[in-house]
Amino acid sequence: MRKLLLSTTIAATLAALPAVADTLRVGVATAQTGALAYADVPVSVGMHLAVDEINAAGGIGGKVTIELIEKDVRSDAAQTSIATQELVDQGVSVIVLPCDSDPALAAIGVISSAQIPAISTCASSPTLPMIGGEYMFSNFPGDNVQATVSAQWAWDQGHRSAYIIYSPDTQYTTMPLYFAEVFEKLGGAMAGQATNTIGQQDFSAIATTVAALDPQPDVIMTSAYEPDFPSMIKALRAAGVTGQIIGSDGIDSPTTFSLGDVAEGLVFTTAGHPTPGSSLETFNTAYEAARGESPETVFSAVGYDLIKVLEAAVLAVDGSTEPTALRDAIANLENVQGATSLITYKGTDGMPVRQVSLIRVKDGDRELLGQPSPDAALIPAPRMQ
Amino acid sequence: MITSPRLQIFAAISAIVVGVVGAALIASMFGAAAERILTVFFITLVGVVGIGIYSGNSGILSFGHVAFMGIGAYVSALLTLPAQLKVATLPKLPDWLATTEMGLLPATVIAMGVTALVALLVGAAIGRLEGSAATISTLGLLIIVHGVIIGWRDVTRGAQSFFGVPRETGIWAAVIGVILALVLARLYRDSRSGLRLRAGRENAIAATAVGVNIPRERLISFVLAGAVMALAGALLGHFLGAFSPKKFFFNDTFLLLAMLIVGGMTTITGAVTGAVVITLVTEFLRRLEGGFSIAGFDVPSVFGTTQIGIGLIILYAMFRKADGLAGLKEWEERVFPKRPPSGSAPALQEVHVSDSLTASNMTMQFGGLVAVNDVSLTLTPGEILGLIGPNGSGKTTLLNMLSGVLRPSKGAAIRGQNKLNGVPAHKIVEHGIARTFQNIRLFPDLSVHQNVLVAALSTHGGEDADSRARAALARLNVAQLAGESAGTLSYGDQRRVEIARALACRPSLLFLDEPAAGMNRLETDALMDTLRGLTRDLGIGILLVDHDLTLINQLCDRIIVLNEGRLIAEGTPDDIRQDPAVIEAYLGRGKPGKKTKPKNRDEPGPATELAG
Repeated sequence: MRKLLLSTTIAATLAALPAVADTLRVGVATAQTGALAYADVPVSVGMHLAVDEINAAGGIGGKVTIELIEKDVRSDAAQTSIATQELVDQGVSVIVLPCDSDPALAAIGVISSAQIPAISTCASSPTLPMIGGEYMFSNFPGDNVQATVSAQWAWDQGHRSAYIIYSPDTQYTTMPLYFAEVFEKLGGAMAGQATNTIGQQDFSAIATTVAALDPQPDVIMTSAYEPDFPSMIKALRAAGVTGQIIGSDGIDSPTTFSLGDVAEGLVFTTAGHPTPGSSLETFNTAYEAARGESPETVFSAVGYDLIKVLEAAVLAVDGSTEPTALRDAIANLENVQGATSLITYKGTDGMPVRQVSLIRVKDGDRELLGQPSPDAALIPAPRMQ
Repeated sequence: MITSPRLQIFAAISAIVVGVVGAALIASMFGAAAERILTVFFITLVGVVGIGIYSGNSGILSFGHVAFMGIGAYVSALLTLPAQLKVATLPKLPDWLATTEMGLLPATVIAMGVTALVALLVGAAIGRLEGSAATISTLGLLIIVHGVIIGWRDVTRGAQSFFGVPRETGIWAAVIGVILALVLARLYRDSRSGLRLRAGRENAIAATAVGVNIPRERLISFVLAGAVMALAGALLGHFLGAFSPKKFFFNDTFLLLAMLIVGGMTTITGAVTGAVVITLVTEFLRRLEGGFSIAGFDVPSVFGTTQIGIGLIILYAMFRKADGLAGLKEWEERVFPKRPPSGSAPALQEVHVSDSLTASNMTMQFGGLVAVNDVSLTLTPGEILGLIGPNGSGKTTLLNMLSGVLRPSKGAAIRGQNKLNGVPAHKIVEHGIARTFQNIRLFPDLSVHQNVLVAALSTHGGEDADSRARAALARLNVAQLAGESAGTLSYGDQRRVEIARALACRPSLLFLDEPAAGMNRLETDALMDTLRGLTRDLGIGILLVDHDLTLINQLCDRIIVLNEGRLIAEGTPDDIRQDPAVIEAYLGRGKPGKKTKPKNRDEPGPATELAG
């Protein structure tokens, strides 16, 4: 009897201790192949860089090392659901989801029932955490915030009419609808809109329509990305459209800077810019030292940010890797220093407050136009498009 | 009605139930992860047998059935999606649909019904295409359905994820689904419709000649397969909880077809084998994708290994086992073969029809070539009419016109009061006309019994089919071969089985196209006895085409002779032997009289053939 009592007491004591583990197991279900690989592959590189850096220093807080368990979801919703479930079965503490709200949404059911926090690498649709519930987080400036920044800039430049080209195929490619909302709120006029499908290679019809407008719109805004965007901008310029073209973070890739004359003067929003002395410059230097080449896109830095967010969350709960504790910790993070900017989740529904950088393509290189904080009153409410 | 032995069906169904339930129980001991792997496997298997129901039995590879899986998934998910979520994510849904929220079972049943309806419409449209055209049309179906799902944004969310579907497919839902699909597929394979369709797959012309309406049987299997695919889709949708149109496109089509082809399209055993092999290999390769270390050597991550692996398995299977790993027979057909019937076989019924077949002015033109030119003939039950002529004289073409295989350019064939010209080929047999073919057209992968049974089942409403089949086999003395695959028989036996198959239709007129070809003298003599018996005992009329003039002369009451498409002589064997036009046609001009004297018919040699 005494023995039983003793062992019960020991068991109770053990259970009462905070769940301290030496390893943070991070399940990574991202798109290593398929349409989203352009973003998720560099994100992975950035994540590994951060993990190596933290583990080399003895782990988070000197004690919790990070282990990445990776699965390719092939940019596919169903595959994301399956891979996420497998990662949950393997007992991970947190899950990283693909760079688009669509496949990320596919994991909602799995993560909410398993009560494990999930962060999308770079999905920017504000509807993702809204619909995804309390366990779903994003890691990128929201579409509505990016659109507000670019619309405000266009207005400030004296542009008064705008034309949008969007695709209803994904949440992300409907960002121009947010742009139109803000632009009209500012007093601008919409000259029209066109829709495309993702993967559409021929934009001549849309280009002809835009070229035939009289008067020509001052601005053409789109959130198309590779391989659609290069075809689109070439078609527009070939048709004689000379107005300002505004894009979004999806075109922050080497392709855009190698397009030559057609992309000259193109403006887009993205997650960061390596200004002298900035954290991004430091990251880029570290990246170059580790990989022997400079990063080609900002997405590697975004991957680095994600691991820094997890690090901050683990630190906030004293090294615990218990999923629900981590969820609460992430939701209350404030001013985490990432590679691209300061990141705050506190007070949001999971869509972080982060800096937005406005970039212009100049002589085939990037020129920073500013890193403005948009007027909160202008930012449109998230909505399913 | 099920056409195969009860023991086989019982063994198959027991194995399915025991295997599936057993696997589920074992998996449940290994925890949730193992259960989920098995659930995915079961759902995949439903998809594989779904395609197999159509492709395996009809022989037409279908790229399109994954589209039905998609329809099933979307329809069922629209019905089970929580109403609140529907309002938020699909604001343009009609009210009745937006407020509908039901359980997985009724939603699945409705989805299967809706999909079957779609399959009926599609199948009716593309069912008449043959060969590669049929396959390509199914590819079109896949692309069109994919396009419609993407385009119908208000209902499907377009190319975006369809998410929030209740994840209600657990291991036991999958168990029920897969048992249902496997049993359905197994029963269909040996149902009347399934057997007819398989006969059509083996030889379309012969199947049509014994009364099989191939397009109809195809449509039945197409719709059934569509419903089973919808079951797979509904289960998958409610397992994943989220999917996009991409889930029901080329990747999964490729995967399911790979399983079916590797395992063997024509059997349930094959579908299961293929699904097991490919699943094991892909699960193994997928785990290697993330990189691994072997003997201290680190292999880096290579994404895409899985697809390459499946490709290699297909190549291996095609090189080493073109019919698939499981071959052409179910396991239970190998373990419990059908035994030849014991006891005395029933006798064939006498013919009580006296209507003659009258063909007048039959003409067949192939472009500029006139293969048959203005030929008239009559054939009455109870008589044997010989049809001879040199090679290329139009004998087989005439036979093909009379049996509905070819539509005559001119002329008419009348049986009793009925004109046969407009009658579709598979209905000719209902007018009492059955036939054999010059180049044997058996159903080689079906058993001898099934060859004959399918004919019996497809004629006279399938009445007394079994006894007709047994009687026909006994009459031709091939009853002991009943369990063999027809394609493995000797040449002479194949000829006899073909005649037995025609007899099983209980014809009053029988067209035999070179029945003695490839037989030795002894076999030919036996055949002559059999044929004589058919007219004498049963009153069947026979139209006999052969080059063996001994056979023709001894057997026939009358002979007609064709040359270069024209009828050049008609009369008794004696008349024909002396007809100068016939002699000229066979031996050429310039040597009249030389070969006309009858010789001893037992003496071999080319001259006796005519003189016989």
